[in-house]
Amino acid sequence: MHWNGKDSAVFQAQKEYIDTAVIPLIVIDGSEHGFPFAASAADFTLSLANIIENQFKGRIVLFPSFSYTKTQDKQSLLEIWKEELAKADFKYIFFITSDREWSTMGDEHDVIWTPSVPLDSMDQKMRNSVLEDQLRQLIPIFAKKWAN
Amino acid sequence: MSNNKVSRRQFLSYTLTGVGGFMAAGMLMPMVRFAIDPVLQKSEGGDFVLTEKKIADITEIPERVDFTFEQVDAWYKSDITNAAWVYKEGDQVIALSPVCKHLGCTVNWEGDPAHKNQFFCPCHAGRYEKNGQNVPKTPPLGPLDQFEIRENDGFLEIGKAIPNTLV
Repeated sequence: MHWNGKDSAVFQAQKEYIDTAVIPLIVIDGSEHGFPFAASAADFTLSLANIIENQFKGRIVLFPSFSYTKTQDKQSLLEIWKEELAKADFKYIFFITSDREWSTMGDEHDVIWTPSVPLDSMDQKMRNSVLEDQLRQLIPIFAKKWAN
Repeated sequence: MSNNKVSRRQFLSYTLTGVGGFMAAGMLMPMVRFAIDPVLQKSEGGDFVLTEKKIADITEIPERVDFTFEQVDAWYKSDITNAAWVYKEGDQVIALSPVCKHLGCTVNWEGDPAHKNQFFCPCHAGRYEKNGQNVPKTPPLGPLDQFEIRENDGFLEIGKAIPNTLV
């Protein structure tokens, strides 16, 4: 499900089945050498989020991406999101990101880190196959969390 | 006056008939056009999309075939990639929609190692037989949709989704 009016109606009606929130985390980097890299990583993360939504449409709600800058406190960002989404009865909350800094924070925060692949120079078909490969690796991660 | 000359009276009546005819046609044409409008309506969604899959390469094991078409959403055009599970049953080619009838996830062939020869939906463990029939006591309430297909120069073309005709 997407975060829009039509899907939110389905969500309200099928809450017992739709129990997972997915939030893409996007870092905003204004520095000269970081800017293009962060932009490309954002493109990748958002494309990946969309393909995850397509695969797990009936169980997840894909939220609009959350953008932050390097100086913001990551720990408290997560806590605020979790607190708010708990109100909507989400049992599982996944964050997906290509920002390496999250990878050091460990598993208990449900941040799924995937290395960014530069999609810019690829044609549509190549993009899709790269993203499909990534998705195939993510399916077991989701399945494992859901099985617990 | 010889016979093949046009008199003033004749000339005027021809001219009036001609001009009157045009005017009448000008009024009648849109009316007729409106009246038969449903017949002229172009049918949407009936278009077939060519895939890169050769008919000869299709086996009995369902295989994922992607196909891309352009979707126009107001002034925003985008390429939508859709997929189908394609296999051969005897000589007949069958293309099933990968969209789970429960809540719209994407199903995978043999996605669950515990259930061979079935489609599996990873979201809520819904299962379907090879022909798309939903397995009872799993969440889905209906069989997978089927795609209309046809052959074009040895390649597979996929059309619109129709209710499953195999079960």
